[in-house]
Amino acid sequence: MNARSFHARLIVGAALAILLALAVAGSGLVWLFQRHVEHREALSMEAKAKELLPGLRLDAAGRPVADTKPSDGRFWRPAGSLYWQASTTTGSIYSRSLWDQTLGSPGENTGETWTLRRADGPFGHRLVIISRLIRPDASRRPITVQFATDDDALVQSFQEFRLETTLALCLLWVVLVLAATLQVRLGLRPFGRVSAELDRLRRNPAERLSSDHPHEIAPLVEAINALADARASDLERARRRAADLAHSLKTPLAALAAQSQGARAEGATRSADALDHTIAVAQAALEAELARARSAIARESRAPREADVAASVERIVSVIERTGAGSMLVFDIDVEARLRAPLASSDLSEILGALIENAARFARRRIAVRAFYRAPSVSIRISDDGPGMQSGRVSEALVRGARLDETGPGHGFGLSIVVDLVSATGGTMTFGEAGLGGLLVAIDWPFDPHAVPEPVA
Amino acid sequence: MRVLAIEDDPDVGAHLVSGLGEAGFIVDLVSDGDEAWFRGDTEDYAAVILDLGLPRLDGLSVLRRWRSAGRTFPVLILSARGDWDEKAEGIDAGADDYMAKPFVMRELVSRLRGLLRRIAGHVSATITVGRLSLDTSRMTAAIDGRTIRLSPLEYRFLDLLTHQPGRVAAPQQIAEHLYGTADAGDTNAIEALVTRLRRKIGPDIVETRRGLGYALVEDAA
Repeated sequence: MNARSFHARLIVGAALAILLALAVAGSGLVWLFQRHVEHREALSMEAKAKELLPGLRLDAAGRPVADTKPSDGRFWRPAGSLYWQASTTTGSIYSRSLWDQTLGSPGENTGETWTLRRADGPFGHRLVIISRLIRPDASRRPITVQFATDDDALVQSFQEFRLETTLALCLLWVVLVLAATLQVRLGLRPFGRVSAELDRLRRNPAERLSSDHPHEIAPLVEAINALADARASDLERARRRAADLAHSLKTPLAALAAQSQGARAEGATRSADALDHTIAVAQAALEAELARARSAIARESRAPREADVAASVERIVSVIERTGAGSMLVFDIDVEARLRAPLASSDLSEILGALIENAARFARRRIAVRAFYRAPSVSIRISDDGPGMQSGRVSEALVRGARLDETGPGHGFGLSIVVDLVSATGGTMTFGEAGLGGLLVAIDWPFDPHAVPEPVA
Repeated sequence: MRVLAIEDDPDVGAHLVSGLGEAGFIVDLVSDGDEAWFRGDTEDYAAVILDLGLPRLDGLSVLRRWRSAGRTFPVLILSARGDWDEKAEGIDAGADDYMAKPFVMRELVSRLRGLLRRIAGHVSATITVGRLSLDTSRMTAAIDGRTIRLSPLEYRFLDLLTHQPGRVAAPQQIAEHLYGTADAGDTNAIEALVTRLRRKIGPDIVETRRGLGYALVEDAA
């Protein structure tokens, strides 16, 4: 757990706050308990004092005399844990339990109501003592009456109470910290989801954060999505401009080629060669940029992408069967009705165009195009009855700029563009041997045709 | 042989004139869409090389106007845009071939000659057999008046059948007509051709005579 994480801070903060609150509550409880017990002890002793006080008087010498004495047996047993003492300046009387000891003086501020204090007593005990003044004869000096009980039992019960309270509060602390942890986890779970979705967004710029977050973080989510949209649209605009620029350079390149031809005609062969080389390099760069732009746009597109496979195949075949090598070939097309594939129609056209054109270069008489849905994929198979491709040449074909047919027309980017585009649209492409004898190109896109396409943001 | 080259870039235009000139063509160069449409509409050319991005009237509109006016010369589109959807749009508009810029003059000449070879010997005529009409100048078929564009191979197949109405064309004969060799080779290719053709013109125009070959249905209702 990272010390800088919200999670850790909230849990540690909650644990400390709960500990502090429980410590204060525990001290308060112990204090209240102590006060309550002492009060009860005082009341108990006051009740016992009522047996002594009515019979208390002064003799002629001013010494206290008790006509009645408290009956509790502990007053009569030496060190019996209950003691009383009545004293004046001239003498004192005691309970038998005090034996030959005395209770100390209660001090100057003793009045005619009971006051409670703690003091060391006889026999090494700590005592709780109540004391007051009493005047049996208003004209004479008062008698100081003290009742005491051993504090040891109280102290022990206080200690037991303190221990039990501490244990209970510790247990409560653990429970509350666990509850706080649970609360923090539940409370921060939306942030965890935002984090996971941001991670997906980072890996795939076409992703967006979902819209069902708690309303407290909804503005943040909306701001992130708006930022991602703005970035995507800037990127797409930049890529489209790069593509437009690349296209717009093609005519000047053709013009340059014309000048090279002119130079060659005038005998400047070396200049023409250099110019042709430059044109070829520039053209390669343009084609690479166009392919990159198309793949990037396909990869990051958020629009619902579904292409009508039959229509795309027919469109491409209608071009190829009328032009170049395709005009001498038979196209055997078998596409499932209403078959859709999860990519933009223009991207499917580029893929099919490059593959079928390539097949047409090698086919003897026939090209077969099959397209079907077999859960969980939409598949297209393009095969020809040409010589096929040796496995070593397959990887060669996939290298950007490599060409399989050095003699025919084309710039040599066809297959590598297709590989990029198939991958950008989430598909896979493999090569094999066709039943017709030539090359079989298999493309598969994982796709659920029954799923509702996600709406455009 | 006169060809019309339509190109608004002066360097590329000059290159077309000189390159095609060296290949034996007489080239008329035009640099805007309006004039291109007018020249193509009023003069006879063996073929047209058409740029798409033209001032005044774009190349595809020029092409559509020619085709709707019945101009049948072969048209090769020469464009900076090489996307397959754009190629398909050009072919749909009536083009016969498509090349992307920058181009190699040798390849352009070869494709132009290929186009001219394809239409060579086709006099402007319509042959009708049953419900099928074959326009030999535009290399199109019509069924009940509905025009259907054919691939060169499909056209040649129907051309063979329309020239021998009622008779069966054997696979060897078809192969010779289509490929210039009597080797029927992969007869599946011919079956695939007929299957595709039937999708375009309907199932009851070309009849399969089992074990013999194919024939046109003359009296289909």
